[in-house]
Amino acid sequence: MDRTRTRARAAPPRKMRIRAYERKPAAPPQLFSNAWERFLRPAVDAVHQSQPVPHSLELLYGHVHDIVLHRNAPALYDALRRACDRHIAARIAQLAALSPSSEHVFLAAVHAVWHTYCTHMLRIRQIFLYLDRTYIVHAAQPDARSFWDMGLLLFRTHFSSVATVQQNTVHCLLTLIDRDRDGQTVDVALMKNLLLMFTAIGTYDAAFEKPFLASTDTYYRNESRTLVASQDVPTFLKHAESRIHAESHRAVRVLDPSTRNPLISTVEKRLVSDHVVTLLDNGFSSMCDQHRKHDLKRCFAVLSRASDHMPADSRAPNELMKSRLIDYVKNVGRAIVMDKSKDPEMVQSLLTLKARLDDLVNFSFDGTEAFNMAVNFAFESFVNARENKPAELIAKFVDSILRTGNKGFSEEQLETTLDNALTLFRFIDGKDVFEAFYNKDLAKRLLYDKSASLDLEKSMISKLKHECGPQFTAKLEAMFRDVDASKDLMQSFKTHKLSKTSLSHGIDLNVYVLESARWPLSTQPSKVKLPQSLMDCQEVFKKFYLTKHSGRKLAWQYVNGSCRVKANFPEGTKFLELSLYQTIVMLLFNDADELSYSEIADATGIEELPLKRTMLSLACGKARVLLKRPKGPQVDAKDSFVFNKKFTHRQTKLKINAIQIKETVEENAATTERVFQERNYQIDAAVVRIMKTRRTLQHAGLLAEVFDQLRFHHKPADVKKRIESLIEREYLERDENNPQAYHYLA
Amino acid sequence: MKLTINKVRLVAAWTWDAGDDACGICRNAFDGCCPDCNIPGDACPLVWGNCKHPFHLHCISKWIGAQSSEQQKCPMCRQDWKFEARK
Repeated sequence: MDRTRTRARAAPPRKMRIRAYERKPAAPPQLFSNAWERFLRPAVDAVHQSQPVPHSLELLYGHVHDIVLHRNAPALYDALRRACDRHIAARIAQLAALSPSSEHVFLAAVHAVWHTYCTHMLRIRQIFLYLDRTYIVHAAQPDARSFWDMGLLLFRTHFSSVATVQQNTVHCLLTLIDRDRDGQTVDVALMKNLLLMFTAIGTYDAAFEKPFLASTDTYYRNESRTLVASQDVPTFLKHAESRIHAESHRAVRVLDPSTRNPLISTVEKRLVSDHVVTLLDNGFSSMCDQHRKHDLKRCFAVLSRASDHMPADSRAPNELMKSRLIDYVKNVGRAIVMDKSKDPEMVQSLLTLKARLDDLVNFSFDGTEAFNMAVNFAFESFVNARENKPAELIAKFVDSILRTGNKGFSEEQLETTLDNALTLFRFIDGKDVFEAFYNKDLAKRLLYDKSASLDLEKSMISKLKHECGPQFTAKLEAMFRDVDASKDLMQSFKTHKLSKTSLSHGIDLNVYVLESARWPLSTQPSKVKLPQSLMDCQEVFKKFYLTKHSGRKLAWQYVNGSCRVKANFPEGTKFLELSLYQTIVMLLFNDADELSYSEIADATGIEELPLKRTMLSLACGKARVLLKRPKGPQVDAKDSFVFNKKFTHRQTKLKINAIQIKETVEENAATTERVFQERNYQIDAAVVRIMKTRRTLQHAGLLAEVFDQLRFHHKPADVKKRIESLIEREYLERDENNPQAYHYLA
Repeated sequence: MKLTINKVRLVAAWTWDAGDDACGICRNAFDGCCPDCNIPGDACPLVWGNCKHPFHLHCISKWIGAQSSEQQKCPMCRQDWKFEARK
């Protein structure tokens, strides 16, 4: 231990020392000018002339390295820039001398200059890489750019400063694009490259895009002007669509992505927006008419695109299309509704029209709610353009579906048809007319067992209930209940001792007892004389009924009665389904072979009109169980009738009672009359309701309020009449001084 | 016999058999209904008192309900009101 310490003291450690150079190291004199003039400049020139570089790249790189290390970078950068500047200036000057008469040649030349320039600059950059990486990155000067950027800047300066070159280039490009639009083949790749050049040197927006959009504008303005005049609308739309498509394709293929939106909107504006009204005027309704779904879909698509570019004072294309659609539907619908000769097909035509329009809206207008509503609005307006008749016909249409005889249709098909009919019904203002006729037809279906299916009937009622509320269907439902109750009643009658009387006549008696207020029945007492056997049956039933329900009386509705009669013709026995009137007439021939019209009228007590109709059905219909003398298509009071002894028919069971089901003119009139009567009550009620709250009101004010309350169409004259009648009945009185004012009388 | 009836369907409409044609309480026709109902017929029946005066059931019930038990009289003839027993 000691020894070691001693030795360490004896030999102190030697220190290493770094001394500064005695002489500051300096770059060899003339380093920069030497290296630049001898090596680097010839290399740059050689590259620019596309010749092999005279020295090895490694050597050149070494010189650059040295110069930068010896802080001569700014001078080098400057010298290099000037060298490049000179070269590109010369190149551009060559281009300026070139005539742009052949676009492709000229553009190819421009592209060649650009392309070689880029290659050269890359090559030079490789040589001066050290400069690029160190000096430019660290340099504080703001105008020192990376080598590549410097190259672009130089190119741009010369390219744009020699105005003709840039202008010619742009001009040639636009010419080529127009040619492409005209359908000629052009060098797309060349254009794409040149446009990339514009983007690279940063003049795309100002130098190219602006003139391009302007030329597009002119091109399509001219094109659309001639085409709109010369082509039909669908062709033009097809053309517009393909143009828009082609331009958007061009934007992807050739142009800078940023140009796409302004380009497309320019095209849309010039091709479509400028002509929306003309296009719609010329082609819309005919396309609808011919049900050109695809063309309309295109129309909708193309015109919707135009909505952003419409002139400020114009309505949006969708709005315009909607109003055209409304006009079209109104015109077509009105033609169907107003044509009296086509009444029998009206509902079917309307259903077809509705289905067609629904299809059109769904397919062509993307099922847009606004268009659905437009169709509905148009329907509502034209269906109500003719009063009452459409409602009546819809009711009859529904009747024809619910009646027996729709064989070949499935329940679902019938349901769908009912639903469709109901959509028409929805458009109708005067629902009371529908109700009245539905009520009458339902009565017939129920009384004559003509209903096709009880399920279908019930479903129709529930649809109506859903549509108009339980108030609307209460009466109809009660009718079903009456029929059911009558069937129960007959069950209990048949077990009752009184029923034996009817049995003694060999007659199977069935009675429908209806509640008079619910059914559309005649209230006039009938003078018809029943044969004794039927009279007995009727009396027996009456007795039975009144023991069950005291305090009631029965009014017999012979018009609606029906019978099955066994007829022994010499040629064979037939079973005839007859109306009660027909039966009464036929039974007279049990005791006679020939009877005059007046004899029959006396014996039956049937009124003239129904009797004539009955005789017509028996003697002039398809199955003639009576013969009329003299023969003829009409029944006259002087005619007489003979039992047809030679009657034959291939069927054993015959229905001759169709006459009952058919609506007579009087029935129709009576039903309409009932509606009007009902409406008068409603007007009365509305007037009294309003006057009760207002106490005193001017005539015009009262009319306006009545109009608000009533849901059917009415004329002011009708209301005026009702007001007169209310004054007479002392519900209201006129003001003594002002004949225009009314007071309510409590 | 040339013709015999096998089967017959008759149709009859019933109405109330009330001589006076309007209810003495509400003055509505018996063919119609009382002011509280919408549809005439079974839904708004008539009743008779022992005095043979008919009323809408709803009307007379309301009337009777408003009277004390000793004073339940027919509004037409002031006899004691009893519902006539009918089926």
